[in-house]
Amino acid sequence: MEVFTDYQCPSCRSLFLGTLTQLIASDYIASGKVFLVHHDFPLQAHMYSGFAALWANAAASLGEFPAVELALYQNQDAWQANGDIAKYVASAMPSADFKRVEAIVNACGTPAPQSAPNSGNPLVNIPHPCALDRVIAEDVELGYKIPVQATPTYVITFKGNKLPAGSGVVSWPILKQFFDSLLSQ
Amino acid sequence: MARLESALRFVIDHGYQVLLVGLVVVLCIRNPETRRKIVRALLVLGGLVVGAVFLAAAYGKMKPLPGLAWSWPSVKTSLAMFAIQVDSYELLAPGAANTVAHVLPYFELFLGLWLVTGIWRRWSSLLASVAICGFMIAITSAYIRGLHIKCGCGIGQDEDVGPAALLRDGLKFLLPAILVTIGAFWIHRKPTASESPTPQAVSSPAATN
Repeated sequence: MEVFTDYQCPSCRSLFLGTLTQLIASDYIASGKVFLVHHDFPLQAHMYSGFAALWANAAASLGEFPAVELALYQNQDAWQANGDIAKYVASAMPSADFKRVEAIVNACGTPAPQSAPNSGNPLVNIPHPCALDRVIAEDVELGYKIPVQATPTYVITFKGNKLPAGSGVVSWPILKQFFDSLLSQ
Repeated sequence: MARLESALRFVIDHGYQVLLVGLVVVLCIRNPETRRKIVRALLVLGGLVVGAVFLAAAYGKMKPLPGLAWSWPSVKTSLAMFAIQVDSYELLAPGAANTVAHVLPYFELFLGLWLVTGIWRRWSSLLASVAICGFMIAITSAYIRGLHIKCGCGIGQDEDVGPAALLRDGLKFLLPAILVTIGAFWIHRKPTASESPTPQAVSSPAATN
């Protein structure tokens, strides 16, 4: 299950906190029945979502992605008001790790990559993209191929066959029922 | 099955156009008997068009997902996927959304077959009109709430909820259903005096003398 999300998107928050956290904690992931793949798709309409994706990817390079992802969604209302993402990332990891993550993000500069209308180049406004910028841009380009027209969008692949993409929030009991039905085939 | 789906899509895509032309013809016809005959013919066609809508919708929701063959488990999986789409409307609790997802396709199948047979056409077409109105209200609600989701109609390409889906549903689905409903009730009513054949005047020898 590949999920394209935007950290500033309310529906993405609902999907993550209401459903994906349960999926991650469930036996489906631990036993290898389901692989959950996160892709960033920062929308142009959300001013800070590209930066949030940068912070999350920087944290991922130090193995701190799960905690930071949770902190970003749990505090979405707070950081999207003023863009103070660092505060909530710092609260999700030891201070030594945060300093390293902060250094990685600061090396990238501004602006952050975002999706653009008509499948525009997400790096168009970034003359010297850093490695994390390119990672996010790759996710966005992948999203264009789906095509992702809104977030969250998810694509489930079963036995090599890509199922039609879905979008919006889905509750855990419904998603679980679908996985059970699919895995019983 | 692919041919059946193509045939249903053809009927749906063009049926409303034929019905609209038929409506114009009916309105231009003066002779009541001729008008009734044409309306009866159009009702049969209309029943097929609206029936095709519901049969295609049922098929679209039940058909196996890519990579799966037709089987009872694969139908259940398709309905489980439809439950995801119903849930994404955020109108019902998960349990209710699941129930709707597992009942609605069978209801559509039943209604489609009922419409095609022409039995009690007034009521089948009325039920179809109400059902389509319900779908359009759900789509409108999702759009107004800013949800960027697929309509889950099951007919053709899954459109995003929004004006395009509403226009399509209104023109190709609701319009034929309403025309058939109105026509079915109209044909069932008793002809008015102006539409009844006038009795021949009988001349009697006493009157002429």
